[in-house]
Amino acid sequence: MSRYLKLVNFELNRFFKIYLGLIAFTAISQIIGVINRSSQYMNQANEAIYERGMALDEFIQQYGPMSFQKVSQSLFFQGPIGICIAMLLIYMFFIWYRDWFGKNTFIYRLLMLPTERINIYMAKATTILLLVFGLISVQILLLPLESTVLQWMVPEELRMDMSVNEIIGADVFGLLSILYPVTVIEFFISYAIGIMAVFVAFTCVLLERSFRWKGIGIGLVYALGSIVIFFLPMLIEEMFFPYFLYPMELLLLMLLTGLIVTALAIWIGHYLLKNKIRV
Amino acid sequence: MIELKNVIKKFGRKEVLKGVSFTAEKGEITCLIGINGVGKTTIMNAIMALTPINGGSILIDGEKIHKGSYEKITFIPDAMTMPPNMRINDAFQFMADFYDCWNQERANEMLSFFKLQKEDRISNLSKGNTAKVNLILGLALDVDYVLMDEPFSGIDIFSREQIAEVFTSHLIEDRGVIITTHEINDIEHLIDKAVLLDDGIILKEFNTEEMREEEGKSVIDVLREVYRG
Repeated sequence: MSRYLKLVNFELNRFFKIYLGLIAFTAISQIIGVINRSSQYMNQANEAIYERGMALDEFIQQYGPMSFQKVSQSLFFQGPIGICIAMLLIYMFFIWYRDWFGKNTFIYRLLMLPTERINIYMAKATTILLLVFGLISVQILLLPLESTVLQWMVPEELRMDMSVNEIIGADVFGLLSILYPVTVIEFFISYAIGIMAVFVAFTCVLLERSFRWKGIGIGLVYALGSIVIFFLPMLIEEMFFPYFLYPMELLLLMLLTGLIVTALAIWIGHYLLKNKIRV
Repeated sequence: MIELKNVIKKFGRKEVLKGVSFTAEKGEITCLIGINGVGKTTIMNAIMALTPINGGSILIDGEKIHKGSYEKITFIPDAMTMPPNMRINDAFQFMADFYDCWNQERANEMLSFFKLQKEDRISNLSKGNTAKVNLILGLALDVDYVLMDEPFSGIDIFSREQIAEVFTSHLIEDRGVIITTHEINDIEHLIDKAVLLDDGIILKEFNTEEMREEEGKSVIDVLREVYRG
């Protein structure tokens, strides 16, 4: 196995327990959400139908059928997704800083490995991306499972079943729609921007680790510069040639600037690790 | 041979190394001596490319350090270089995974010499045992050069004696060693070359045996002479 893959494996193992914890927390919280919302709905239905003698059709007309949308809007459902996103955002920085701080400075060992230092950078980036895509996949797998729980709790005549796509599509203002953009193009754009952001953030961390206080300033300027480069086609069109480009042309130009920003981030990161980094 | 030529290192405006030049040969123990803050650790970090230098050059067997050099030279800093949640065994596995020059037999030999258990978690080790594990991680690599930063710092006398014993063993034989230490008494008789530093410059560099034979002075005598004037 190449040293890069060994590093990826090592980095994944370092976060694995917390990661499993996050998955378990998400699953438990969301299933509690399903049970909680379904129970509330059923209590409401029982009270209306059996105690107040309301007809089934009338109840459905008044309160609407029970659908997964009612669950996906709850804090039990959205909360753990938000926490997972926050944890991974924090870990994107912590994956570097944990090697410098604390009693044991693992960065000594990492930098003294007989491998190109860019492998350290790429392994950490790969780890973050695998963690992100792993959580997204788990969430997709959880949705049908949670739908089944809902189906156990609410009789067919009171519910409106939704497919995974319908659940995501209905969550217009929620986190699901951010995690799973509706169209394939949107999906690739979102995640390409995400990947680019990971590399830019990594390079910012390395700028800080190389130049310390001065590095924070340089990092901020660099991050701002990266954003400007990425949005340059859009900015130029907006300012100088309104409506000059077709949306697809604009998209291709932004794909190009995105590639430039990503390549630049990796190149600068490699340079810093090789020539400027300090333990 | 490790060769430092006119090495300059600045932290901000402060010049920590002001043109340091010396060599360390294979098969010799070179000791960097000086009070805290004179740049001993910075020299070690610079040799290993763990901090950039602002001037001069550092060569290992005539080459600038590159990825392959880490199979030839290792550094044992005064802090543990493995994550605290690891067991000693995991740390050995990590080394075996990444270094072709890792010598598991030697690691096991040193482990039993130091009476440590493979299952021990690094975070639970005492300062002395942490230093011993660090020493194993460095010396179980079949490398030509070993750099050690304060291997006796803050550890008890018994651990110090054990570590000093390593210096007389086959574990050090034929290797080029650069060591920084305040505890010069423990290894004075083992040092081949002493490099005395002060304020980023080399005050004196001498062969200890020649010094003993020609001037009848020990390393400590020279230290007193140089630092106390």
